[in-house]
Amino acid sequence: MIRAAAGKLSGALMAIFGASVFAFIFMRVFPGNPARLIVGPLASNEAIVQQEKTMGLDKPLWVQYWRYIKGIFTGDWGFAYSAGETVKHEIVARLPASAELGLYAFLFAFVLAVILALAATYRHRPWVDGTIRGVSFLGLGTPPFWFGLIVLLLFSQVWGIFPGPDGRLGPNTTPPPTYTHFYTIDAVAAGQWGTAWDALRHLMLPAITLGLAPFAFLVRLLRANLLDVSRENFIVVVRSKGLGRWPAFSHHALPNAFLPTLTASGLLLAQLISGSVLVEKVFNWPGIGALIVDSILRQDFAVVQTFVLLSAVAYVAVNFAVDVLYGVIDPRVRIPVAR
Amino acid sequence: MEAPVGRAEGWGGDPLVRARRGAGRAFVFLARDRALGIAVTALALLVCLGLLGPLFWPNDPLGIDVGSSLLPPSSAHPMGTDSVGRDVFARFNEGARISLTVGSVVVIVGALFGGVIGIVAGATGGWLDGLLMRTMDAILAFPPLILAMAVTVGLGSGLRTAGLGIMLTTIPYYARLLRSEVLRIRSLPFIEAAHALGARRMRIMARHIVPHVVSTLLIQAAAVFGYAILTLAALGFVGLGARVPTPEWGTMITDGLQFFLTGQWWIGVFPGLGVLIAVTAASVIADRARDILDPRGRYAHV
Repeated sequence: MIRAAAGKLSGALMAIFGASVFAFIFMRVFPGNPARLIVGPLASNEAIVQQEKTMGLDKPLWVQYWRYIKGIFTGDWGFAYSAGETVKHEIVARLPASAELGLYAFLFAFVLAVILALAATYRHRPWVDGTIRGVSFLGLGTPPFWFGLIVLLLFSQVWGIFPGPDGRLGPNTTPPPTYTHFYTIDAVAAGQWGTAWDALRHLMLPAITLGLAPFAFLVRLLRANLLDVSRENFIVVVRSKGLGRWPAFSHHALPNAFLPTLTASGLLLAQLISGSVLVEKVFNWPGIGALIVDSILRQDFAVVQTFVLLSAVAYVAVNFAVDVLYGVIDPRVRIPVAR
Repeated sequence: MEAPVGRAEGWGGDPLVRARRGAGRAFVFLARDRALGIAVTALALLVCLGLLGPLFWPNDPLGIDVGSSLLPPSSAHPMGTDSVGRDVFARFNEGARISLTVGSVVVIVGALFGGVIGIVAGATGGWLDGLLMRTMDAILAFPPLILAMAVTVGLGSGLRTAGLGIMLTTIPYYARLLRSEVLRIRSLPFIEAAHALGARRMRIMARHIVPHVVSTLLIQAAAVFGYAILTLAALGFVGLGARVPTPEWGTMITDGLQFFLTGQWWIGVFPGLGVLIAVTAASVIADRARDILDPRGRYAHV
């Protein structure tokens, strides 16, 4: 068990090392000249050389790589000159907004996916199944940023049910006292129900937009797993022992159908990270995704660079954790390891 | 953004039996399989608009006419006009051409690179296999869109670099799949038989293994096509795709961004609809292609 985990850990570390080399190559070696971007197009050659010196760009590549890696681990992520702050400050300040949005998006995707996957497989009704499959295909094919614009147009502009794209809270609401930095939770903890309601209303449309792709993906996966599991012998056995259809589904089929879904959590995280880049800008959500888009537009690549590597580390870490967890939860995976 | 993985499950019906009766029955096949029929029709329509659009709709996709800006859809402008009076329908057609072209190029080049890497890794083994697969793992360590973004930032934004970035993220999916497929086929008895008959390694590779992995490669390529179009639009949306006047669908949605909330919805809605139709149709077709072609799928026994 431990040896298998160690093997997976070394694989994960190798992947992160390779990823950092890739990120370094594409960010440091290929682009024109980051020093020129910082000092501006009108600066003299001396100013550029000076800037290169302070950034260490005159050093050999392997020295630059070492500084880059050391910087990543010590939290020295560079300076976001478009914001006039360090990259670390920017990312840390914006993380809670993205995390809260991601959490609600995931909850939406997961709950709806479980309900629809059950509806698709619970009884044999081809039209229900067909409709749900069609919806999942459409969900995976929809550009999330475009979907966000459509729901804004309909629910905010035309029908006025939800607020427009003004961030996490309305202009007249003050943020709740901070414990967790999640506005909905903080507001409830402080007993400010009005603020909590406002925060929730502002979360609704972005969360649905961000959750659309994970939802479509989860429905497909859960539906296929549920179909597989419900054909297993043990389901036939519990049914023939007189257990009703619903208990057989909810107690026996569903938990087993969730297991393969766990392996997809890495993919779900990747979807949420990429989705936040595409969705937050549309809703003026003050998170990391919007920061990335703004940094790209202003050619402030120090931010993008850090984000790219951090998301790779998060992605690999989740996949590694899932790999190890899976062996703990599902005994069948452990057997080849024990040999 | 979903990673470009082929679909695992099957649809109802028994399409292979019908498919085996010959290509002449393709139309009957499409007519009976409603979802596939709709998907193929939709994609064919987009291809027609992209290729033949300029012939029957000669408006210039770049022609600025400030006098007729922000007009709603009408018979003169079926999709309206944008903020500088360009015809959205003409731009939509041009966008279809760009997206489908980039999607095809990404799929073909990526399949070639990924296919060769996978086959070489599977066939040679040893340190080369290890090196190639660790490189693939490094690429897979990124969420796909984020890596495509990084590559495009590094190489300078534009359609070509965006396509290159997307292509790079798809290579590992082909390579890993084909490597495992080559390893599986290598262990089958008929390869042993060919070896016993005195066939050289190169001949066994070229005549016995490669033909057997083509269908796997095709299935994966079909799954990647939709991903490529969606990612291109996403890169265009964040400002990393086509340069400003170029009517790429993603950049067209960005153009329409500020007009969405002032009522001129048509500028952004139609290009998004184009992406939606192209990607959904492509993934339905990929799904069916898998059912029909997958050697390990549920039709392997037929």
